Amino acid sequence: MDAASPDQKFRLLGGRIPYVEGPLKVSGRAEYTDDIKRSGMLVGRLLRSPHAHARIRSVDVEAARRLPGVFAVLTGEKYPTQFGVLPITHDETAIAVDRVRYIGDIVAAVAARDELTAERALAAIRIEYEVLPEYNDPRMGVQKVEFPIHSRGLNGTNIQKEVVQHFGDVDAALGTASHFVRVRGRFSGVTHAFTEPLVTIAESTPDGRLTVWSATQVPHYLHRSLSEVLGLPMHRIRVIKPEVGGGFGGKSDPLPHEIACAALALETGRPVKMLFDREDVFLTNHGRHPTENDVRIATDAEGRILAYDIEALIDGGAWSSFGTVTTYYNGVLSMGPYRVPNFRYRGRRVYTNKPPSGAMRAHGGTNIRYSVETALDELSEQLNVDPFALRELNALPPNSTTINQFRITSTSFVKCLHAARQRSGWDAKHRKLPYGHGIGLGCSFYISGSNSPIHFTPKMPQCTVHLKVDMDGGIAVHCMQADIGQGSNTLMAAIVAEVLGVDLERMHVVRVDSDISPIDLGSYSSRVTFMMGNATRKAAESLRDQLVHAAALLTGYPPERLEVGHERISVRHRPDVGVSYLEALHKAMERSGALLATGSYTSPPMGGEFKGARAGTAPAYSFGAYVAEVIVDVETGEYRVPKVWAAFDCGRALNRLAVEGQIEGSIHMGLGQVMGESMNYRGSRLLNPSLLEYKIPMPQQMPEVECLLVGDPDPEGPFGAKEAGEGPLIAILPAVGNALYDAIGVRFTELPITPDRVVRGMEQRAAAGRTWKGA
Amino acid sequence: MSDPTRLRLTLNGHPLDVVCPPERILLDLLREDLNLTGTKRGCDLGTCGCCTVLVDRRPVLSCLTLALLAGGREVTTIEGVTPASGLSPLQKAFVDLGATQCGFCTPGFIMTAGALLRENPHPSRGEIASAVAGNLCRCTGYSKILDAIEAASRVA
Amino acid sequence: MHLDPFELHRPESVDETLELARRYAGSFDYLAGGTDLLPNYKMHLNLRPHLIALEDVGELRGHSLDRIGAMTRLADLERDPEFLRSYPAIAEAVREVATPLVRASGTLGGNLFLETRCFFFNQSYFWRQSLGFCMKADGDQCHVVPQKEKCYATFSGDLAPALMVLDAEAEIRGPGGARRVPIGELYDGAGDGIRRTRLAPGELLVAVHLPASARRRRSTYRKLRVRPSFDFPELGVAAAGRWEGDRLEELSLAAGGLETYPRRFDALTSPLLGAPLTDTKIEEVASKLRGLVRPVHNTFLAPDYRKKMAGVFTRRALAGIRPGATA
Repeated sequence: MDAASPDQKFRLLGGRIPYVEGPLKVSGRAEYTDDIKRSGMLVGRLLRSPHAHARIRSVDVEAARRLPGVFAVLTGEKYPTQFGVLPITHDETAIAVDRVRYIGDIVAAVAARDELTAERALAAIRIEYEVLPEYNDPRMGVQKVEFPIHSRGLNGTNIQKEVVQHFGDVDAALGTASHFVRVRGRFSGVTHAFTEPLVTIAESTPDGRLTVWSATQVPHYLHRSLSEVLGLPMHRIRVIKPEVGGGFGGKSDPLPHEIACAALALETGRPVKMLFDREDVFLTNHGRHPTENDVRIATDAEGRILAYDIEALIDGGAWSSFGTVTTYYNGVLSMGPYRVPNFRYRGRRVYTNKPPSGAMRAHGGTNIRYSVETALDELSEQLNVDPFALRELNALPPNSTTINQFRITSTSFVKCLHAARQRSGWDAKHRKLPYGHGIGLGCSFYISGSNSPIHFTPKMPQCTVHLKVDMDGGIAVHCMQADIGQGSNTLMAAIVAEVLGVDLERMHVVRVDSDISPIDLGSYSSRVTFMMGNATRKAAESLRDQLVHAAALLTGYPPERLEVGHERISVRHRPDVGVSYLEALHKAMERSGALLATGSYTSPPMGGEFKGARAGTAPAYSFGAYVAEVIVDVETGEYRVPKVWAAFDCGRALNRLAVEGQIEGSIHMGLGQVMGESMNYRGSRLLNPSLLEYKIPMPQQMPEVECLLVGDPDPEGPFGAKEAGEGPLIAILPAVGNALYDAIGVRFTELPITPDRVVRGMEQRAAAGRTWKGA
Repeated sequence: MSDPTRLRLTLNGHPLDVVCPPERILLDLLREDLNLTGTKRGCDLGTCGCCTVLVDRRPVLSCLTLALLAGGREVTTIEGVTPASGLSPLQKAFVDLGATQCGFCTPGFIMTAGALLRENPHPSRGEIASAVAGNLCRCTGYSKILDAIEAASRVA
Repeated sequence: MHLDPFELHRPESVDETLELARRYAGSFDYLAGGTDLLPNYKMHLNLRPHLIALEDVGELRGHSLDRIGAMTRLADLERDPEFLRSYPAIAEAVREVATPLVRASGTLGGNLFLETRCFFFNQSYFWRQSLGFCMKADGDQCHVVPQKEKCYATFSGDLAPALMVLDAEAEIRGPGGARRVPIGELYDGAGDGIRRTRLAPGELLVAVHLPASARRRRSTYRKLRVRPSFDFPELGVAAAGRWEGDRLEELSLAAGGLETYPRRFDALTSPLLGAPLTDTKIEEVASKLRGLVRPVHNTFLAPDYRKKMAGVFTRRALAGIRPGATA
């Protein structure tokens, strides 16, 4: 049957499938990296730079080395090879070589018998610095600077990446526009704040191998980086990903401490554990970029979008990380879910002497979306068109191509709009609720897996899955896809069980281990369901074919007349004639033993021919329309969000429990960025590197969330599925911002919207003589 | 006078008798010395609740408790509330209703929620939210955690 | 994160405690719950070689309507319905302290003598070293109000303002014997974020006493913070009053979370006695209080906003305790 048929019936998929590893997690038996102990294990610790920007004049580690109980002290010069998640922007080192670039930059690593000794060793290291001018604001770095943070900065500036794109003719379109709106957004940096701190264990053994256990979302990229920096061939390195306590993008770069820890293991010949405390985690950051954007949107008299004209200034922090992608995404992800015929974008990501920014859930698509959706809300007000109607008028149709050559296949965006509008009772509420009480709409568009693998060589699939089944009938599932809590192990198991018709309990999803797991590129760009799902499906179908073939031999019916039922293969329309799963299996393995099957996924060619054309291309896109209600205390500026209607198009939701979990969790995380999460700096110094002063919302702040999963199956997604891990975060931010406007008549273009800003907004509105809903 | 560094307590129903320096934190004793790794270390500063254990049936932050001060008391960890086979109704509700994602905060939530249900077998949703407001979850948005605790309160 | 080694003392009586305090004068901290002290110790803030744990001192434990032992857990107060009903301000304050997990260990005495807080103080040794330290720990300058004379760390306890408006008294034992002082006098308005208490060396808070009059007062505590749990107060206002008919007989007002010490505002409230507490009068008091407080930028929300909110919260607290008020 056609996978994309909305009527296709499943035994497991489409239902609510509890996590296969759930029992281990609720009993404390799931094994995370810090739960692992190796005999003779040493404690690894890092010395960090107290200066935001300085040259390292000299390093004296002799006193530290001489301390009893100290096994190794490493500084940067031993492994100076630069690395980074993107092959085109390698600018990090495991340990700073001759320059430190932010407060917290790693300058030395120590392995010692215990924590106290390691700390004493760190204290005994003498470093002489020559302090350089610090550049903590991206504006300081857009022109030539005296001491560029990196030599690769554009023409002596601190600009790490500049993207200039122009499609259509924006100036001409502006000339014919009848309506025009401009929003200048400002966004604090936010960070992932996963609950499991970063932690790595490394062990080198006398057989010449290095084993690394790490809390990572990207075991394969870590594997590559370890090899590049340490100079060991990949086959002598084994990367294991134990259970990971959340990532959200914060574990999606190969990180310096992972390599430093491995280097200490090589140096000492002993296992070394490096466990971060919260401050370490905040200083490692790689969170969402502090950003300023300037969004101009023009429409015709009816509200049809004629042009976008966008600029973004992105604060990159000390390193590149995913920054080149970020710079593109801030432009190219601003258009969908709408048809934009003319588009101009200039994005600049600038190095600063602050903890590096990187990829965080809904990377590159969140801040720009806030400004765009705020602008559309403002336009609908100008045009006196309902916000839903304005968006529907501009919706991208299915099977279309955007001005920048994105291939849009499935979109149920209009269905999302209809569902959110109807379920929220919008028409009776918008502009009709009393002062202080409001409702707002925000929409989203996000990639379902980046079409471009990050590494280009060798040419290989984006995901490969292996299945192995022996006479016991249990099915081992091997794949390097990184379950970090999103439920991908469960999905992989469920797909195999669905295709083979067997019980879920037969599945053994084997822990990620580069010695045995075929490569998947990792958990980032919301790629896993789509790519791993397709690869898993192919592997399972291949295994199914072997079993059906054996059943054909046993029953005497040709394979095409057989069908897979529950733990059974039987003749179509003759369920009494057939064999059990185990009978088929045992027949199939008569000649060569355990069955093996493999499946892989490579996304189809797509994208235009211009520079940067591949950025943002994906085999599918998710869409969303969220409505949020807010109630504001108009004296104190405190507000709460009692209810959210979240209409989301993830194609067919294969595990509704997991999809709802992603939506609810995304709303929580997005609300955090709206209501109070912010990395606050004084100059280059992070003021709040703690879970006390970094304000993650509490249970009492969570709205009731109604998930409306209205997507039609995607033609290429596994069983019609698309992503649901990142896109669901985006719409809540503008939905709340626009609801605040509806409540109190103030446009918030700066996040987070803390109560002091709400009060100031109301005061400014009053001072300007504007009334709102009679107040 | 008895040895001030001798620690005797009841751990998960069994007596424990060890020597423990004054600066030893209960969380470290459990995880590092006794290898009870179900109790998680999320922040070490009392700001996440991942390390919650019961001391005399009340949930406390093991990262902010001196091990010696648990002397003479009953300490219960996640290992102590998990049946020898299968799961408790609360744990089962967490699995079935999707209240665990990455799972790192989960043992802490199970400890806090279990203590709540013992003290108040049928809490309102608001009471549940207040009771777990010292446990941080970054994955679920709490909704399914509250659902699971509510469901478990109906089973009990 | 580990603690550096220290010597732990576990006295079982107040006398024994005072003796230890005398012996280790200047080089000990009391451990009274640990939820404030131990994080600070883990961050190597003002470590002392001796910790005197007050857990086993029976005289410090237990509470009744009249007396709360200094080592009473906040969670125990929270679970005493009669106590909560009798003192709404304390009930509201207790429930708003940090989190349920902190309240399970945290004590009354610990909350009253909470270390003052500041962005430039509550940081790791590495962080503070990279800044050059501050006068409250290891350094000699203030980074909030740049100078070297006064520390501006903020008093962040929730219970003090609530107890102050109820005329609670602290029972103190020390080398010079026992004495009782109003809660407000535990704190030194002339001091700073470092030298903020008026306890003499070697003195110990044994209990807090609540006068019978406190139970006749209507009272409330209103706390501003970013999140409904975890967060210390960005400000906290407590008010208590007694009416005969619509005539105000007693009124008190206190605020914390704004300055280096919690403050009572008798000069603002005493002129109001003997007459109804009208909206206009409330507005006047609120605006005067707002003019008096001087928050600085060492908490999450901006000081001008906190100052403004001190007025709003005062108005709401006063309106909230008037007879017939609903919330």
